[in-house]
Amino acid sequence: MGEFFGYVLASIPYGCAFSLVAVGLVLTYRATGVFNFAFAAEAYAATVIYSELISHGIERGWAAIIVVCLIAPAFGASLDFALFSRVPPNNRTAKTIMALGLMVVLPQIVQTAVPNTPLAPPAPFFSTSFRPVWRFGQDLVTGSQICEVLGTVLVLVGLMMLLRNRRFGLPIRAAVESPKLLELSGVDARWVLRFAWMISTALAALAGVLYQPGAATVDPHNYDLLLVASIAAAALAGLRNLPIAVLGGVLLGLAEGLVQGYVPSDSIAYSALVPSLPFLFLLVLLIFHPTLRHLEDTRDPMAAIEPPPPTPAIAMRPPSIDRAIRRLRWPLLGIMVLGVVLLVPSDWTSALTQGAALSIVFLSITLLTGLAGQLSLAQWMFAGIGASTTAQLAGSKHWPILLAALAGSLVAGLAGWIAALPALRLRGLPVALLTLCLALLGDNLLFPTSWVANGSTGIAVPRPSSIFGIDFSSVDSEGFFVLTVVVMLAVAGIVHLLLRGTTGRALTAVDASPVAASASGVQIRRTTVLVFIMSASIAGLGGSFWAMNQQFVSSDSFLYYFGPIYLVVVVAVGATTVEGAITAGMAWALINNAFTNLPSSVGGTQLGSKAFTVILLSFGAFAYARHPEGIVEFVKRRIAMTVFRTAEKRERPLVASVKDA
Amino acid sequence: MKRLLEVRDVSLRFGGITAVDHVSLDVFDGEAVGLIGSNGAGKTTLFRLIAGELALSGGRIQFDASSLPHRPDQRARLGIARTFQLVQLFGGLTVMDHLLVALQAHEGRQGPLRDMIWKGSSTSEEEALCLDTLRMCGLREVADAPATALSLGERRAVELARALVVRPSLLLADEPSSGLDTQEAARLARVIARARAETGLAVLLVEHDLHMVEAIAQRVVAMEAGRVIAEGTFDEVLRDEGVIASWLGRSA
Repeated sequence: MGEFFGYVLASIPYGCAFSLVAVGLVLTYRATGVFNFAFAAEAYAATVIYSELISHGIERGWAAIIVVCLIAPAFGASLDFALFSRVPPNNRTAKTIMALGLMVVLPQIVQTAVPNTPLAPPAPFFSTSFRPVWRFGQDLVTGSQICEVLGTVLVLVGLMMLLRNRRFGLPIRAAVESPKLLELSGVDARWVLRFAWMISTALAALAGVLYQPGAATVDPHNYDLLLVASIAAAALAGLRNLPIAVLGGVLLGLAEGLVQGYVPSDSIAYSALVPSLPFLFLLVLLIFHPTLRHLEDTRDPMAAIEPPPPTPAIAMRPPSIDRAIRRLRWPLLGIMVLGVVLLVPSDWTSALTQGAALSIVFLSITLLTGLAGQLSLAQWMFAGIGASTTAQLAGSKHWPILLAALAGSLVAGLAGWIAALPALRLRGLPVALLTLCLALLGDNLLFPTSWVANGSTGIAVPRPSSIFGIDFSSVDSEGFFVLTVVVMLAVAGIVHLLLRGTTGRALTAVDASPVAASASGVQIRRTTVLVFIMSASIAGLGGSFWAMNQQFVSSDSFLYYFGPIYLVVVVAVGATTVEGAITAGMAWALINNAFTNLPSSVGGTQLGSKAFTVILLSFGAFAYARHPEGIVEFVKRRIAMTVFRTAEKRERPLVASVKDA
Repeated sequence: MKRLLEVRDVSLRFGGITAVDHVSLDVFDGEAVGLIGSNGAGKTTLFRLIAGELALSGGRIQFDASSLPHRPDQRARLGIARTFQLVQLFGGLTVMDHLLVALQAHEGRQGPLRDMIWKGSSTSEEEALCLDTLRMCGLREVADAPATALSLGERRAVELARALVVRPSLLLADEPSSGLDTQEAARLARVIARARAETGLAVLLVEHDLHMVEAIAQRVVAMEAGRVIAEGTFDEVLRDEGVIASWLGRSA
């Protein structure tokens, strides 16, 4: 009993932090329609700022008050002002994408701004009360534990009273259904939503000040458990019920504490169960919780008054330009590839090859997100499965590398099929959560094993030695670049055929209205499963070529957080066209190469890499907020409009053809 | 006349609420049946049961003397088409694409593998059939326009065209005149009548606009609180004491 009580005591901080963040998640989702994936990142940022303030001589209590009551609400309000308020209320995909972007970019900003991180975890603001208050056998109840529990309970009770209040709570609950309807009732919905953001960010900051991730350093990835456990607690509450979210947080905290206490720390069960317990819990909830299956069913009744999305550029282009593009695209592409082979310095060839391989992975996002409207955060994990299979087959079994890559693609497709089965019951945000879960499970359970990516030790990945006398094996090989580009173009061709064919039409129909698509005879299940499989296969193939270019693969190659990063990049550049995916892949690799080659006088590799991620993702998130169709599509439309206006001024027959188009 | 749709003793319960209560009705080949009743009478729920969107709590539904498969898409491919009370269009697709989606799904010409072997584009026969249907529905001029950019009347016509393009045996039309002015409703009624004349289509029509019901339906079924309360010709049903009591709140 004493042992049990000790483990329960140890789990109190976890439970409190999980509850706070879960409540924040539910509150933000209910009030703003945004599922804030960035909550753990906000908690991390709060911890770092809290620690910085303490190190500058500010007393702990004041530091905590400054972080929770001043900085966090101001940050929440600015997030709403700069990003989320600019997204049409009904565009939930855009909101989710931006929250994902924030989840990735915020730790990078903090690490760039505070270069001395990781820091030692700061003690909670009531650390002076660490003295034992009660003693139960060998277990001590400290003043800090009592403060944690009482503080959490007080905050949560206060919040619930606030939400039940007619003046404050009612508008917040109404705002999520329809901000425009709320405004018609005479309430300024903008400030209601901003207020909700301020409260929820303050909750994340409070969790950050309270939460001790149980590691020696303050690293953003130590907050993954906080994120997933809170998501699981919020999911248990169906993203609706605050008391159940609190209960879920406490129960998960207890479960973590008890598992860590009772399962021997040197056992396989410990290493497998402890990190994956909340993921498994969330996985089960996502599949079986009835409320989560219908999360995306509600629509803003005033959505119809939103302006329609802009006309696609392809519908605005004069047919003559379409004809010119069709005739010139292959010669131009040939000239570009030849230019790379002949003119580009060899140290950039590898970057371009990486860009082509990434483009293949990104084309899988085009297929799944651009076409089917499903937000998958596990595409990089599928790429990892393909790459690991290729490495294992080529390394241990001595398969020819291209055959191994094909097998890798098939195995990734099989993983995609497994992921598709639970995803069939879900749409939108729950699919994003499910795939995030899978990616985290891959990170924790799959890639560290010797039979997949062999942990951080990794596996060497050979390149094809030569085909038709062309050498592929050397570092910065132009031959391997050409091979990767050919594979990329073949995949782009397949995705293009799907976009323009029956699948494109059927999936657009399913995305717009599943009930009408089904009533029209579209086989939603079969089409969705096939697209998941094909998308995962393409990602696996891209991962294999990426690994061949790196000539090495390990568990660190396919970290889960690249999934959201790449998703944000692709949708920001353009997820509905193959040129969007290729532009995103090439831009990522080239800009990354440019930044990581920064001279040491301006910060060197470390700063360059982080600054690159921050700049690209911030730009992507802002661009996506303003142009959800993607940068490529936006530029194409602007060009088409310019052509249209020029032709109109000159009163050429082109105008008539454009109008016809 | 052959019995096309046979609904026998069908019930649906949501927890303690009985939305459809032991309903039986028949629709014969080529026949038009109007389903009338106040809001909440269970008309749309009965439609959803027939379309396969909801599972029966009791009873059975047969189509063309056979049991129906479970899924809505399977029932659609058997020849049961439907329109919706709140217009359900595919944002991002043109009017023509709406028809192609339904037609290619009906013909089993839909799928990634087919697209990958260059068989994903529409055939000239499919396009001709779609254009014929669009012409019949008065939509030929807007075939290449995004469907969501059209007026409500045109959107309802697109829904109807999407349902009719597969030449279904039975059309479930759920309040097609909802939100339309008199002329638009009359035009839609003419399209349905013409489709019936040309293809022998049977129609089950849920409608509050009694002019449209009178114009289309040969037989009328009245529902109230999930039950059938009257059945007969248009005039017989409107004279029925139970229907009058249900609609006017008093006996005749």
